[in-house]
Amino acid sequence: MTASVKTLVNQPYKYGFVTDIEVDTIPRGLSEDVIRMISAKKKEPEFMLEFRLKAYKQWQKMTEPDWPHVHYPAIDYQDISYYTAPKEQEKKKSLDEVDPTLLETFEKLGIPLSEQKRLSNVAVDAVFDSVSVATTFREQLAKDGVIFCSISEALIDYPELVQKYLGSVVPVGDNFFSALNSAVFSDGSFVYIPKGTKCPMELSTYFRINTEGAGQFERTLIIAEEGSSVSYLEGCTAPMFDTNQLHAAVVELVALDDADIKYSTVQNWYAGDENGKGGIYNFVTKRGLCAGKNSKISWTQVETGSAITWKYPSCVLVGDNSVGEFYSVALTNNMQQADTGTKMVHVGKNTRSTIISKGISAGRSQNSYRGLVKMGPKAKGARNYSQCDSMLIGSDAEANTFPYIQVQNHTAKVEHEASTSKIGEDQLFYFAQRGISMEDAVSMMISGFCKDVFNQLPMEFAVEADRLLSLKLEGSVG
Amino acid sequence: MTISTIEVTPSDLKKGRGNVERQAYLKTLISQRAEFGAEVPAWVKEVRDRNLTLIQDQALPSNRTEEWRFTDPSSLYKIPFQPAAATVTAEQIQAHSWPDVAIRLVFVNGVFAPGLSHQTEVSGLQITTLQNLDDSFQAYLGKTHGSEEVFTALNGCNFKDAAVLKVDRNQVIETPIHLLFVSAAQGETPTVAYPRVLVVAETGSTVTLVEDFVSIGAQTFTNAVAEIFLAANAQVNHIRLQREEATAFHIGKTAVSQKRDSRYRSIALSLGGQLSRHNPEIVTEEQTETILDGLTLATDSQVADTHSALTFSQAHCQAQQLHKCIVDDHARAVFNGRIFVPKAAQQTNAAQLSRNLLLSPKARVDTKPQLEIVADDVKCAHGATVSQLEDDEVFYLQSRGLDHDNACDLLVKAFAAEILEKISIPSIRKGLLEDVLSRLR
Repeated sequence: MTASVKTLVNQPYKYGFVTDIEVDTIPRGLSEDVIRMISAKKKEPEFMLEFRLKAYKQWQKMTEPDWPHVHYPAIDYQDISYYTAPKEQEKKKSLDEVDPTLLETFEKLGIPLSEQKRLSNVAVDAVFDSVSVATTFREQLAKDGVIFCSISEALIDYPELVQKYLGSVVPVGDNFFSALNSAVFSDGSFVYIPKGTKCPMELSTYFRINTEGAGQFERTLIIAEEGSSVSYLEGCTAPMFDTNQLHAAVVELVALDDADIKYSTVQNWYAGDENGKGGIYNFVTKRGLCAGKNSKISWTQVETGSAITWKYPSCVLVGDNSVGEFYSVALTNNMQQADTGTKMVHVGKNTRSTIISKGISAGRSQNSYRGLVKMGPKAKGARNYSQCDSMLIGSDAEANTFPYIQVQNHTAKVEHEASTSKIGEDQLFYFAQRGISMEDAVSMMISGFCKDVFNQLPMEFAVEADRLLSLKLEGSVG
Repeated sequence: MTISTIEVTPSDLKKGRGNVERQAYLKTLISQRAEFGAEVPAWVKEVRDRNLTLIQDQALPSNRTEEWRFTDPSSLYKIPFQPAAATVTAEQIQAHSWPDVAIRLVFVNGVFAPGLSHQTEVSGLQITTLQNLDDSFQAYLGKTHGSEEVFTALNGCNFKDAAVLKVDRNQVIETPIHLLFVSAAQGETPTVAYPRVLVVAETGSTVTLVEDFVSIGAQTFTNAVAEIFLAANAQVNHIRLQREEATAFHIGKTAVSQKRDSRYRSIALSLGGQLSRHNPEIVTEEQTETILDGLTLATDSQVADTHSALTFSQAHCQAQQLHKCIVDDHARAVFNGRIFVPKAAQQTNAAQLSRNLLLSPKARVDTKPQLEIVADDVKCAHGATVSQLEDDEVFYLQSRGLDHDNACDLLVKAFAAEILEKISIPSIRKGLLEDVLSRLR
């Protein structure tokens, strides 16, 4: 961009406060004893401890992958606290018993949990550091047979369901970070939609990292039985610290015959300051299994935070005629790095997938799309369409695309398109001519660029995401 | 320079998988290199020794190496290849020559064969080999980017001879130059050849080059390297044909260095070989134009791989790449195209397209077009498609009275012709179109 374009002031990260609350935390470090301690603290059934120990053994044998296009100093896995929970009295019966400080924190984040102020049509599970503190609308959902609770509660109340599906989509030894997560995960959300049920409201989990030096390892498991459907949202924020924090989550989705899961993420972890100090390392494994015929899994993500984002929400399309979708906006500014994309693995007949990825890189950031489209030998008539567009703002930003296309079936059809462009001086001039300020012009162009993805988000969140992007980009045009 | 050796037993070679085995196999190949005679200048020997130091402790890649993930080279390491002399008759050469190409240089197993070659004097064009090579080439031989890559360095360490071309300043050479590299295995001996080409196009010159690889005999391994230097405003049209026997192994590198305002266009065809790989690597300076076209044809159990890398080091460059693969039977084609646009390369306009046609249920394609962009004022696009023949198109032709097979043939021919039509030499264009079709039947 030329000097004629004025520099605007950067908008501070408004979720960067720390809640002062007494926490129950275990010493830093990782060993078998730590895992036993976590398991004991959560009063888990025996099979869970075995699951964790198996994962830990595998993790010890694995090495951290080095292929992504991101750079960070080596992580000391012994310098992370693997369990941090707000200290609290006995199991809370209702929201009134939840520590008011916590309620206040979530209120401040724009997630009201108290009865009067709840969002009328969204059930929220709020996760604070390592544990779930509150889940709203549980009773109402239970009337329809929908189970929505934290995964620790599910382990106690519905162990057979968890045992059946946990690790079925992302096996314990799938990769370095999923193995670590399987060994130490502390909480997360559990969703079960019974046969033929359309979930009556949006389900949502809000993740908050609060304690310095703690890692967050949450685990989400969503099961949609035959003919059911659900829309699930997740949001995340963290306070500003000078040190980096590790967030290694695993999300597993299972869609049986004719089921439909829509999973949306608005990720706004603390991204570090403009010199790249601090911020969250967001190393996440997300995978959905379309196990049944005519099932559908759709991922929508808006990635704006984190110092490093490294995730590939994937769909394994096993059931015939199943559908996988991936819509993504990844925005990086300052020193942020993102290596994100998707994997569409077509196994069954007539499976279809769509990938729309929009990358925006500003400042000195790096933004890479990396995606795999694999057509297995039995994926007769499978179809994929991918489009990834990148937009560069400023001459120090970097945009990369690495699409992997592997086709082993001649009746499959794969199309991939990618382009890179910038916000042109002439486009800005055109807007200026029409009396539109530069800042508005840029934000209009960005929201036009991202429209295909925002259209997929639930209504309130689309507005939110649009606003988030323009906030994040303020000051980068200059 | 001494070469350390490791004991290699035949059972080690059979495995060909572990790092030690792959290191040992490389050592064996290096230990077989022939020393130069006195007529080769001392600095050429230094180039070879420099490469020897480069690979002394390296191992050959396996399919666990990222760059070789989709092309497993282990079958190569199971065969004890060695350099050998071979006699090739004029008739055998005749079968591979093009009638309207007047200058033909034949290299048998990487060594110049004057008796089989045909040269005419062209003003402004110097054609030589390593013997008594002019010192002016010292600035070029072994000086392109990426020479540390293990197979490139292996050639750099073992090459016995080279085709050296120089086009003088402002000379336009109308006659195409045919460089025919024959890898010939006499009897049952698995034979390895290290062909090498060095082309220097001086400021404002133009030349057309046909680099042609064929093989004779059962088991051959060709490890080729071509270095092409384009000075300012020079123009090189490069046609690269790889039409070796179906049992051959071929690993080739084309390293191109483009100075400002130069224009490089290449058409690379990969037709033969059970395992073949071509790595074009181009580095350009300001305001250059680069056009890369490629056609890969893989049938039976062939594995054909193209790994191209295009780096713009300065601004205002244009590039276009179209790579097509036709894959039949249980063959496999791999394409990896990397375009790197660093911050200095503003105003770059680059487009890359990978199109793939699968003709049988067992055929397989792995394609990875790859853009790495740091400059913000650029236009870059890439695309990839994989599909079989469109039913609608076949039906349309059938409705015009063609039977099913003829309709398919016509469509495949049209798919290939998009690349072949760009060949400027009529006999090669026609000959290859027939060759491609006959290979598919």
